[in-house]
Amino acid sequence: MNKIESPEESRKLLDKIVFDLTRSIVKKDELTRFWFFILIMFIGVGLWGWGIQIKNGLGVTGMRDYVSWGMYIANFVFFVAVSLVGFLISSTLHLLNVSWSKPISRVAEQVAIAAVALAGIIIVNDMGRPDRLLNVFIHGRFASPILWDVSVVMTYLTISVLLFYLPLIPDLAILRNRMGDELPKWKMKMYSILSLGWKGDAKQYKIIYHAMRVLMILIIPVGLSIHTVTSWLFAATLRAGWDSTIMGPYFVAGAFVAGVAAVVILMYAYRLRYGLKDYFEDIHFSQMGKLLVFVGLLYLYFNVNEFLVPGYKMRAAEGVHLLNIFTGSYAAMFWSVQILGLILPIILLLFKFFRKPLSVTLISIVVLIGAWFKRFIIVIPTLEHPFLPVQNVPADFHHYAPTSIEIMITLFSFMAALLIITILAKLFPVITIWEYAEEKGIDKKYFSEQPKKS
Amino acid sequence: MIKKLNLLVVAVLILSAQQVISQEWLVPADKQNVKNPSEFNLENVKKGKEIYIRECKSCHGDAGKHNGLALVPPPPDVTSKIMQDNTDGELFYKMSTGKGVMPKFDVILSESDRWFLVNYIKNYNPEITPLLVEAPPVKANLTASIDGSTRVVTVSAGFQNKKGEKENLTETPVNICVERAFGDLPVGQVLTDDKGTASFKLPENVIGDEEGFVKVVVSLGEDFEAKKVTLEKAKIGIPKETPQLIRKGVIWSTNENIPLWMLLSYLGAIGGAWLTILYVVIQIVKIKKLSAK
Repeated sequence: MNKIESPEESRKLLDKIVFDLTRSIVKKDELTRFWFFILIMFIGVGLWGWGIQIKNGLGVTGMRDYVSWGMYIANFVFFVAVSLVGFLISSTLHLLNVSWSKPISRVAEQVAIAAVALAGIIIVNDMGRPDRLLNVFIHGRFASPILWDVSVVMTYLTISVLLFYLPLIPDLAILRNRMGDELPKWKMKMYSILSLGWKGDAKQYKIIYHAMRVLMILIIPVGLSIHTVTSWLFAATLRAGWDSTIMGPYFVAGAFVAGVAAVVILMYAYRLRYGLKDYFEDIHFSQMGKLLVFVGLLYLYFNVNEFLVPGYKMRAAEGVHLLNIFTGSYAAMFWSVQILGLILPIILLLFKFFRKPLSVTLISIVVLIGAWFKRFIIVIPTLEHPFLPVQNVPADFHHYAPTSIEIMITLFSFMAALLIITILAKLFPVITIWEYAEEKGIDKKYFSEQPKKS
Repeated sequence: MIKKLNLLVVAVLILSAQQVISQEWLVPADKQNVKNPSEFNLENVKKGKEIYIRECKSCHGDAGKHNGLALVPPPPDVTSKIMQDNTDGELFYKMSTGKGVMPKFDVILSESDRWFLVNYIKNYNPEITPLLVEAPPVKANLTASIDGSTRVVTVSAGFQNKKGEKENLTETPVNICVERAFGDLPVGQVLTDDKGTASFKLPENVIGDEEGFVKVVVSLGEDFEAKKVTLEKAKIGIPKETPQLIRKGVIWSTNENIPLWMLLSYLGAIGGAWLTILYVVIQIVKIKKLSAK
């Protein structure tokens, strides 16, 4: 980090950085309105579908006695997985002093907050009687992984929000000091309240650094547990396909893949939309591509263990399940997820040619779609094989297919997550200004200055 | 491969079941007209009935009641046309060789037993005057009591004769059962004396409920039309062992039985995380206070 000595140069550079990074907040055009319109339309339709589901019961979904965890739970696992990237990028890489990842932290936190918040909402969507939600806490069983999952999801959401907020405080002060007429009054008032009257003296910075560090360390065990506990929801049963000892790390590795892909897509969207080419640079995409290869290989390794070892033994029930996945009705989905969503991206991203921003983003989109279908394969095929043979089972118990209501509600979750991300991007800078400026060599003392009005 | 084999087996089963339904049960010509070596008399019909109740009734049901099992094809009633259209030789051949769900009885019953059965079935042939005519059940009344300390059940049975006078039911078997969840469990039978009474000492090893209470059920045989008597529960049995369904050392459990280490781990982890969060929130408050200075 080169210190810029000249105050003139520092002020000039800071002005440019602030101008660029607040563009997302200031920008207001037809496209923004259209985007909000699309999101809110889908959310409205989803809520309407949810209303039908509450009125008529879960019978409106494709879930029956055999498959009682359908697309909702697969979607839940997907969202929990995506949220884990917050812990990977804004904590682990930060603590390891990986400097290139710093501008990405806030994007990762946005993804984490949106995903984990929606994960909680999806569970409520999946409930037949959401009015009994409180019973989970009143009558919860401490030995049940479901209670652990609820606790850990809420803890992770809180930590993610705090980890988003803490480095935001100095930024809010910058916004409070520098912005004015171009923003509506309520926004300025919000900045002023949330910035806690930040002065920017050494003591305050010390507290911020300290608190951030505490949170970054805390989020590691909590982040690991959120997805490990989610995997235990499955692994703690005796069902073929779920009864696996490596389910925890298998889920965590898969979560990194999905999360990194989601962050790459969001980074590209910001870069394009808010003209942040100089901030989300080519090197960031290249590094994220490499990170995707690394976590992809890790996930591939767990996949080999998860499928090869039971596939080698082909124990009775396990064998039926695996054959159904390998060569049966889920074969097409399984192999396309494994090859297109994991193996091919790993191979392509090994080449520098494919680690350019656009191609990394396109590959990430495929990876993210693959990750969603992978959760579908983890949750549903296992349930289609009941433990006990039952006579006169209705035909629709045997095979699960989501209904249009389920698809509406699932689309709702995606749109609501995007809405949360969009609102966060519209309210707060997508890159931590003060950290970025400091990285560029600007001294902290310039942050609290009021710019000269020209 | 296994899946294909399974399919094959299912297909074969379905095909053979269809054949059973559609095809007639053909008996070789030389077997059709074999004569029944045992004479058609009351004694032999009674012998046949005994065997029928033991070996055949479970599927074919009571004669004339058409209450056989719902199998495919359905086991016909003894009085039905399907059954009675057979010659003696055909009946003998069919019960000996079996077909589909009908077992072959030549390995279970001796040849003479099977001919007794033929005699029993013949008793219901509409063209033959039946030898064994079952009397309609007699209306009887039954009272019973139990002595909890001696475990003795005392029974008293009577009936109304044709003149309407009350008479004691003598030399009649009374069934002593114990009520269970899915029906009555027979524990013994006792004959009434000339006063129409009988007593039965229940064995010591009857298993009762959790506290050893047993409900005794007393009934008369099929020849009588009498309400069965269910006695008040008495403490005469061995208390039922209620196995602890959740063993010690099992991690999953109710909140009452949760292993302490698990509860502490859960509360410790969650509590630790939230205390740390609280600490961070306090830091934020500190920032606010520093600004105010």
